Parts: sequence; C-alpha cells; structure tokens
Amino acid sequence: MEFFLQQTVNGLTLGSVYALLALGYSMVYGVLKFLNFAHGEVYMFGAFAGYGVLTVLGGPSALLVPVWLAITLMFIASMTVASGIGVALERFAYRPLRKASRLAPLISAIGASFFLQAAALLLFSANSRSYDAPTLIPIASGISIGPINVWAVRILVIVTAVVLMILLTWWVQRSRVGKAVRAVSFDTEAAAMMGVDVDRVIVVTFLIGSALAGVGGVMVGLVFGRIFHLMGFIAGLKAFTAAVVGGIGSIPGAMLGGLLIGFAESYTTAYISSTFQNLIVFGLLILFLLIRPSGFLGRPELVKV
Amino acid sequence: MLLAFALVAAACGDGDAVDTTAAGDTATTAAETDTTAAEPMACEATVGFMGPITGPVAFIGEVQLNWFNYALDTWNEEMGYDFQMVEGDNQFDTAQSATLAQQFLDNSAMVAAVGPAGSDQVEAAGAVYESGDPNFTFISPSSTRVGITALFTGMFRTVPTDDDQGPTTADFLVAQGAQSVFMVDDQSSYSVGLADTTQGSLEAADVTVNRESVSNDVTDFSALVGTIPGDTDFVYLPWQVAANGQIFANQMAEQGKEAVIFGSDGMDSADFTEAGSYIAAFAPDIAALEGSQSLLEGYLEQYDDTNTFGPPTYAAARVIFEAIDRVCQAGEVPDRANVQAEVRNTDQADSILGSPISFTEDGDLAEGQFFIFQIEEDGTKTLVP
Repeated sequence: MEFFLQQTVNGLTLGSVYALLALGYSMVYGVLKFLNFAHGEVYMFGAFAGYGVLTVLGGPSALLVPVWLAITLMFIASMTVASGIGVALERFAYRPLRKASRLAPLISAIGASFFLQAAALLLFSANSRSYDAPTLIPIASGISIGPINVWAVRILVIVTAVVLMILLTWWVQRSRVGKAVRAVSFDTEAAAMMGVDVDRVIVVTFLIGSALAGVGGVMVGLVFGRIFHLMGFIAGLKAFTAAVVGGIGSIPGAMLGGLLIGFAESYTTAYISSTFQNLIVFGLLILFLLIRPSGFLGRPELVKV
Repeated sequence: MLLAFALVAAACGDGDAVDTTAAGDTATTAAETDTTAAEPMACEATVGFMGPITGPVAFIGEVQLNWFNYALDTWNEEMGYDFQMVEGDNQFDTAQSATLAQQFLDNSAMVAAVGPAGSDQVEAAGAVYESGDPNFTFISPSSTRVGITALFTGMFRTVPTDDDQGPTTADFLVAQGAQSVFMVDDQSSYSVGLADTTQGSLEAADVTVNRESVSNDVTDFSALVGTIPGDTDFVYLPWQVAANGQIFANQMAEQGKEAVIFGSDGMDSADFTEAGSYIAAFAPDIAALEGSQSLLEGYLEQYDDTNTFGPPTYAAARVIFEAIDRVCQAGEVPDRANVQAEVRNTDQADSILGSPISFTEDGDLAEGQFFIFQIEEDGTKTLVP
C-alpha cells in the first residue's frame, strides 16, 4: 500500500505538470485547429525566467526575501515571460499564415520550436541549471499521508495546478472573454459575425496557454530540479499526448489526459519497468489516434452528409 | 523576428563551423617552408579539437576545450612555437562528428586532433578518418569503451577503459560489503556498456543486481526511486548527466531511501554533490598532485571551471605537441604519418595525471587506472585509498 501511495503521489505531481502544459495545446487547438509545437519551448523559457528571478534574489542558499515571496515572484516572472513569447509567436509566426494551408502554420511551429531552442542555447548556454529546491524548502517538510511523507514542494505543485485549472474553468465558463474563446472555438466565422474580436481572442488564448506553460516550467524546476535548453521537447510531446488522450480542444480533457499520462508513467515504472515508460506513453498516443481520436472528452468532428 | 533568427543562426553557424583561417595560414607557411629549405626550419603545425562544446553534455566539451587551449597556449609560450588549432563542435552527435572528421581530413595542414569525447562519436569520426587517411591521429580524452582503439589505426586515448572501470567499481562495492546493488543505465551506449561490465563483475561475486534503465532526457525519477528494494546497499548510476544524479539523490532522500549512490566517471562533476556518495574517475584529483598543482593554478587564472574531463585533454594535447616537436627535432616537416609514428613512440615518465603515458599496440593507455572518490559534506572529494 505504501508503495502504491508513493507512486500515486509521484504520478499526480508529474501529471499536474503535464496537465498545465496540455491545456496550452488544447486551448490553441480549440481556437485555431492547429498544434503549437513550440509550446514546449515556451515552458522551457518559463523555467529559465523563474531561475533568473531566483538567482537575482540571491539564489536558494542566500535568499534576500522570504521563500514564499521568492516563489511567487518566480511564478509571476515565468508567466510574464512565457505569455510574452506565446503572444509574439502568435503575432509573428502564426498569424501571417492563418489563411494558408493547414500545413504551413504547423511547419512554422516546428521552426519556431527550433528557433527558441537555439535562442535558449545562446542565451543560457547548454549547461543545465538547478533550482536546488531542497535548499529552499527542506525535503523533510511536508505532510504525512499514511506511511509516506509528501514533500511540501510536491504539495505546492499539485495544489497550484488544481487551483489554476479551477480558475481557468471558471474563466472559460463565466467570464466575457472566456465565453468569446468558446464561441471562436465553436465557430470562428459565426463568432466574428456576432461581433467577437477574433484576433483578440486568439491573442488571449496564447497568452493564457503560455502563462500556464510558464507555471509548469517553474513547477518542474522546483520539484525535479534540473532545467536545460532542450527540456521542452520531450515534455511537449508528452503534453501533446495528454491533450490527445484527454480530447484535444477540451479543457477538462487536457486536465484528465495530463493526470492519466502522469499516472501511466509512474505505474509503468513501478509495476513493469522504467525501460517501458516512453513505450507505454507513446503507445497510448498511437492507440488513441487509431481507436478514439477525439480522446476521452473531446468532441467528435461532425461531418455533413 | 526573421532578422533575429538570421543573427542567431549565423552565430550558431560560427560556433559550429570549423575555423579554416588558422589552417589556411598554416598551410601557406608550410608551403613557404618547403621552398626555403636552406633556412632553419620552423616547427609549425595545426592540431584539431573536436568535442561537445554545445549540446546535452556541453559541460564536458567546454572544459575539454578550455584545457586544450590552455595546453596550446602554454606549449607555444614554453617552446616559442606557433602551433595553430581548429575547433569543431560535434554537439555530442554522431552525424556531426562524421562531418567534422571529414572537414579535419580535408584540412591538409592538420596533422592530428584531440577528441571526440564519447565512444559513439569516436566510432563515427574514426570510420571517416580510417577510410580517408589512416595516418590521421586522434586522441580521445574521455572515450572508455573497450576495444574501440583496435578498430582505428590512428586512435589513441589518455583514459583507461571500461574494462578497468567496471571491475574496479565492482571490487570496491564488494569490499564495502555490498550484497544488493540497484543499477540504472541511462540508455546511452556508454552507460549500457559500463553497466553490463559492472553487473557481470558484481554477479560473479554473488552480489544481487537489480537493473533498470531510464533515458537521460528524464528529470523525474520519483517512480524509479520508489522501486529501489529496501535491502539495497548501493545504487550504481553509470550516467553522463551528473545533474540527473543529484535529482536522483534528492528524490531518494525524499522517499527515505538510504542506499549509497556510486556514480561512474560521467557523474564526476560539480553538479553532483551528494554527501557520502562515491564516484569513479579516470583521472586523479590533480589538485592533490604536487607536480600538477601549478598547472591547475595557471589554468584557473584563465578559466572558471574544471572537472575530471579536463586534465586528460591537456595530456592528449601534450602527447600530440611533443610528437610534433620530436618530428621537427629530427629535421622533418610534420605530416600525419610521421606525427602518428611519434605519438606511438610516446613514453612520458610523468604527466599531469600523475602517471606515465605510453600506449599499447592498439592505442590504449598502457597503465590505465581508475580512482574512487567519496564526496564530503562540503562537496569536496576525498580519494579513497
């Protein structure tokens, strides 16, 4: 039982990060019907922004401000930087291609992904950096759940992800802009005819999705420690898998998919072998694309007959 | 954005490309030397450096490049020579290594090279050298795969092989009373090969080995750490990304796992500082070697960072420089064939590594030795006798 509980906490932590990343994929797909393959790199820049703030504040062992304030500032910086990059991508790499074939923005997204990787390499070098979170928040801190102790950083990651997902759901369901996002997602032309500023909605979608990715970047830095310029690639692919499994275009689906992929990774390592971790995750991607392309909560595409 | 992209691309290109200016200058000088044979002959040559200056293990390449440059500068100053260097960044990639090897071969002024770092990259570059010009000498300062030198006429190395590291590690663990070892390879050929060798030696000594495998792209090992059996004495990590080892250690502490970590030479970096852990290293801590201290101090005056990958690079560069010098002293113009012959004749009684350097017929270090260090509370390392 202890073993199962421990692996569940591990899966929940990882799944929370994937869920936040998958939300960005899903939101953009919902509105624009294309995959923003540079999303993983936005998350990577968010992680570096958080690291930058941590360094400016004196580093983990000599913080000039209380830990809670440092972490809050790290989240704010990462959200700002990530959303700025997301909006810039939309404006310069995707908007000019909005009326082109569906392949064009996809290729542009892949190019943007490599561009951001190269930019990070030049800016931060290839050396990995460490948040050294155990110095910020001791590993012994946290709460006991039965026989296991859950580190406070894991609790922070899980709680932050849940709060952000609740806020996003509320925003999409209740706010004026959120309703506009849903309208554009449902039918862009009709929404435009009803007076919705489609360009603005798309910018807001990139802004929110990228900000969530930025938060995910800081979370990974805090809980797993190492950040590096190539970290967005595999994480992006797994978040994309999560979005597909949950139902791409669906916000609750992205959350569900993220958690499922996190659990799949954790339980595969625990009960099968770590060697099969990626095999299982990407096997799920293929399985869903073949059998249920709309995922668990996605909307099947209606075809007029 | 396009302009920015172009600038970044140009900058990347500059970093990765082979600098042919120095080579061109040297080639001209060599030609002039031939036509003025009556005058005292200048000893001039171009030596290449290939390593992962960027990419996933840039911490290796940057330090190797720094130590190569340091060796070149001190050599030129000491001898009054003007040896030139050409650097190539293989990004720890086999295709890039093969491309760079071809560029090195095409540079007629280049007589030998230091690098590549990893065994996969050595194999890729070595195949190009072997088919293009077997007289081209390349000395790897960190490739440890067994048997690789036998494949290439011109290959030498200044580090011992996994045949030394695996059994050394296993012997040490057995001597520490290990009954059960949890071993995780990082799915690279370096790691899998080393894990295989060590596992074989441990099992031959009746030690129980639980083997797992995880990609070095992964940064969350929580689930894997959860599977470490409670009776495990040591966790053996033959990894190349030391920062991942530190994450593994943190997550072990988080889950209350008390086994001691033993890292391979790839983990010998400032990124891994888990107190009480052990690491194997193919070079001693040169700060503790009386004859090497001044070299280290001189290096640290110019460069910020060093690790175990640096001194063997310095040693490799010196082997080539001294071979070229012997060719010149014999009144010959250095070329690939005579430099290789002199590298083969290398017989240094002492080196920066604190041990003699000479090579076996295949090009392996004749007296290779691995060292084991324990990491102290303050992050420093103590040599385990």
